[in-house]
Amino acid sequence: MARTSKLWRLAIALPLLATALPAHHSFGAEYDATKPVTLTGVITKIDWTNPHSYFFLDVKDAKGNVANWKFEGYPPSVLVRTGWKKDVTMKVGDTVTVFGWHARDGTNWAHSREVTLANGKKLFFGPPAGTGDGGNTPAVDVK
Amino acid sequence: MRTAVTLGFLCWAACVSAQPKSAVPRATDGKPDLTGVWQGGSTQRGNWEEANAGNGVGGTGRDPSAAAAPSSNDRPAGREGAPYQPWAAQKVMEAYNRRGIDDPTALCLPPGLPRVVMLGLFPQQIIQTPQQVVMLYEYMSVFRVIPLNAPHPDDLLPSYMGNSVGHWEGDTLVVDVTGFNDKTWLSGAGTFHSDQLHIVERYTRVDKDQINYDVTMEDPKVLTKPWVLHSTLMLREGTRLEEYVCAENNLDPREYEHLLKDGVNFKR
Repeated sequence: MARTSKLWRLAIALPLLATALPAHHSFGAEYDATKPVTLTGVITKIDWTNPHSYFFLDVKDAKGNVANWKFEGYPPSVLVRTGWKKDVTMKVGDTVTVFGWHARDGTNWAHSREVTLANGKKLFFGPPAGTGDGGNTPAVDVK
Repeated sequence: MRTAVTLGFLCWAACVSAQPKSAVPRATDGKPDLTGVWQGGSTQRGNWEEANAGNGVGGTGRDPSAAAAPSSNDRPAGREGAPYQPWAAQKVMEAYNRRGIDDPTALCLPPGLPRVVMLGLFPQQIIQTPQQVVMLYEYMSVFRVIPLNAPHPDDLLPSYMGNSVGHWEGDTLVVDVTGFNDKTWLSGAGTFHSDQLHIVERYTRVDKDQINYDVTMEDPKVLTKPWVLHSTLMLREGTRLEEYVCAENNLDPREYEHLLKDGVNFKR
């Protein structure tokens, strides 16, 4: 019985080792994986477009100043397969929290990874940091 | 007798352990039927949602801090270095050092082969008849019509996806692809090729859920020897191919230009 449960754990853990390859062109070029950001704000616009989708968020700072942030993420077909429903899951006016990575140019835009919706549900809006930039090992061996 | 019994037992044990999880579906002509919607670059069984939970592509948000799944521009762990000629390897490194911003797909150009077969973010569909096999890719909405037991045409124009013809070798579909242009990446950031690229793909459905994909790339102009990669396609029942119109709102090239103008440091 104990053995069976270990096997089950292995069976559950194995999918985490999957190496499915996303096709996105370089997110890693535009965003800095060493600069994670978590922001809460109000949705002002959502663009379900190819090759990448965008949404915009009004974020208020401690002094009450509002800045509009742009977030980039998956294309529509991937959002659908990730559990999103257009115009239903997230709407203009919703308050959400976004975890992602800041753009290299330091302005108000970022790559979105996880969105915590108004109802507390969490969904991925974009791929992990560094996606598409070639990773840590080039295709060729270098001396 | 005892030896025979032992051998019999060994065979039984081997046969049981080697037995596929489910039978290979067969077409009316007896060939393995590759028809279905598939996900490349995965080894997970199950439908799309089951197979891509956790940190997987299109995951359900359970673990945002999990290690990044490699993209089609990344070299998967354990893979040998691509056998580029020294001058060509230098060129691959230059593209890698620019973090893949020269990726042709950033301009919404077709992804080419074998990249489009091995990427996992978008599904692909195979439709098989005794005369031809059709492969449809959601990514960039590209397709391949592969006649069986036919020669390549002799009037090919260089193309992104090349010209494919196929034949069966036992239970393996062998696809020969030629007639490429030099404008795609093979597998990984900067993995360019010349118009002399010749690809041989082998599709072997080993059970209901899995196709083994073995691909050999030859290019005497840039490689020192054939480059061989092994991957798998996993059946994704219930998934349908969606529209993908890349040119709709492609802001990234503009951003890359802006970053370069600002003197961005892409150092890793």
